[in-house]
Amino acid sequence: MDAASTVRDDFRPLIEALLAGDHAAALAETRRLSQIGLSAETIVTAGLEIAMQQLDDKCTVESFNLLEIMLVGRAVSAVVRELYPEGVPPDKSRGTLIVATLEGDVHDLGKNIVKMVLIGKGYRVIDLGRDCPVDTVVAAAEREAASGVLISGLISTIVPQVRRVRAALRAHGLDAVWVVAGGAALKQLVATDLDVDCVAENAFDGARYIEQRFGETKP
Amino acid sequence: MNGLERILAAVHFTAADLPPAAPQLFGHAAHLCGVRLCDYGQNGALMADCQLRAKAHYRSDAVFAFMDFCMESESIGSRLRFYEAQYPEITSYVLPATADASHLHLPDPTSDGRLPELLRGIERLRSTLGDTALVAGSLLGPMTLATQLYGIETALFMAADDPDRFEIALDFATECAIRYGQAQIVAGAHLPVVFDPAASPAVVPPAFFRELLLPRLKRLFAALRQAGAIANWLNIAGPTATILPWYPEAGADIATFDYYVSPEQAARLLPQTCLVGNIKPLDFLDANPERISGAARQLFSAFRERGGFILSSGCEIPPESAPANIAALIAVRDEG
Repeated sequence: MDAASTVRDDFRPLIEALLAGDHAAALAETRRLSQIGLSAETIVTAGLEIAMQQLDDKCTVESFNLLEIMLVGRAVSAVVRELYPEGVPPDKSRGTLIVATLEGDVHDLGKNIVKMVLIGKGYRVIDLGRDCPVDTVVAAAEREAASGVLISGLISTIVPQVRRVRAALRAHGLDAVWVVAGGAALKQLVATDLDVDCVAENAFDGARYIEQRFGETKP
Repeated sequence: MNGLERILAAVHFTAADLPPAAPQLFGHAAHLCGVRLCDYGQNGALMADCQLRAKAHYRSDAVFAFMDFCMESESIGSRLRFYEAQYPEITSYVLPATADASHLHLPDPTSDGRLPELLRGIERLRSTLGDTALVAGSLLGPMTLATQLYGIETALFMAADDPDRFEIALDFATECAIRYGQAQIVAGAHLPVVFDPAASPAVVPPAFFRELLLPRLKRLFAALRQAGAIANWLNIAGPTATILPWYPEAGADIATFDYYVSPEQAARLLPQTCLVGNIKPLDFLDANPERISGAARQLFSAFRERGGFILSSGCEIPPESAPANIAALIAVRDEG
């Protein structure tokens, strides 16, 4: 997709501020757009989602780096908090997703990055934190009617836990919930190794898979 | 030839009886010996004993005095939680987000935290092995230690929002690394491997590496060489192709390359540097010796003409890996 061709002129300053990781400027621009009467939904779709698409286009395996992504993520989070102080309501989102780092893994930076990317793309994200039992993931997926679960794993000892997720979801009748794995350790394996639907190379890769699956389910 | 001689031959691009193999076996040595990682990481003598037993078992050309990535930060004041089967985590960082590193005390490797334990382990490894195998110490590079003073998210935001304060942290981390590395060489390490995972292009852009990290790595490696390191070894994981060309300027004689970088690409980018790599670490997890043998043969084939190569993984082999996989790697080395 050529994201640049779909940019509205009045959203350029917001998009530029987001891509520069300038959270103060992004926040100021969001307030300006709200004051001239644009809805939160419009600001998300014409601002945040376009910025995230442009970042996605730029972020290849070679050029993806945490520093730049975190700066954009901080700006995106500030804008979303401004637009939805109580959190994104389900009916305003593109779908609900669960993110977690599983029990035994206390590293949550990767999970935080994927959460930011998904929020920026307009999804409602339930963050279960780190060191999270598989049963908690399943319960949250059921309670929140989530479409997908995204698991980040930095260390190899987490592999057996990841392999349990699909079966645990099935045991609760949640066969249709997509499971995506990513992170430094998990991405060295393939989906069949982990019994997941997708192993993502990075946060954008995981988000692309989710978008593709949502695209398939649209009437 | 013994292990050290093989490794030196690779560093100097000269002939050897066999190509050297130095799989990155750290916590796996504990796993192999039935020792808990929390014990392995807190007792230098035990660490050395496990390394020696792993070396005897696999017949690799190097041992690694490595406990975990939190040692330096702990010695400065961070608090850790230890686990039985995985490396410790930092539960409380020594510096709050608003502080700068200028008032921190430089840790004394002979007395602070577990640094003396690692030195004891090095002494034991060297006194046992002498010059028959490479005795490699380990220390954190400036970027990784700087992030471990604050936590990586706080540190990265600081690098963008308050670069002067972040550079103070980098300078402090560099001085820590120099002092700790010198102490390891005095204790008997042939060299300390400099691990700097946070310097990877997966974390910071190449320009950040060039402007902020390269000068400090130069300072560190110059100091290590002056202290008697037989060579300088830089180990940064991930997609490092964009920063590899700067390694010689940094002073690195040995460069680990991860599975993201092909052998051909690494050889092209670093024509005169000894390369170490690059089997995918998680391929060692489930027993599949044939897969490891195949990957090792491909690597030897890629470097047969060039030389200057040490067979290994691209990053640490997971502690809980299947021993048959590591044995398969050494067996391919033995084929010559």
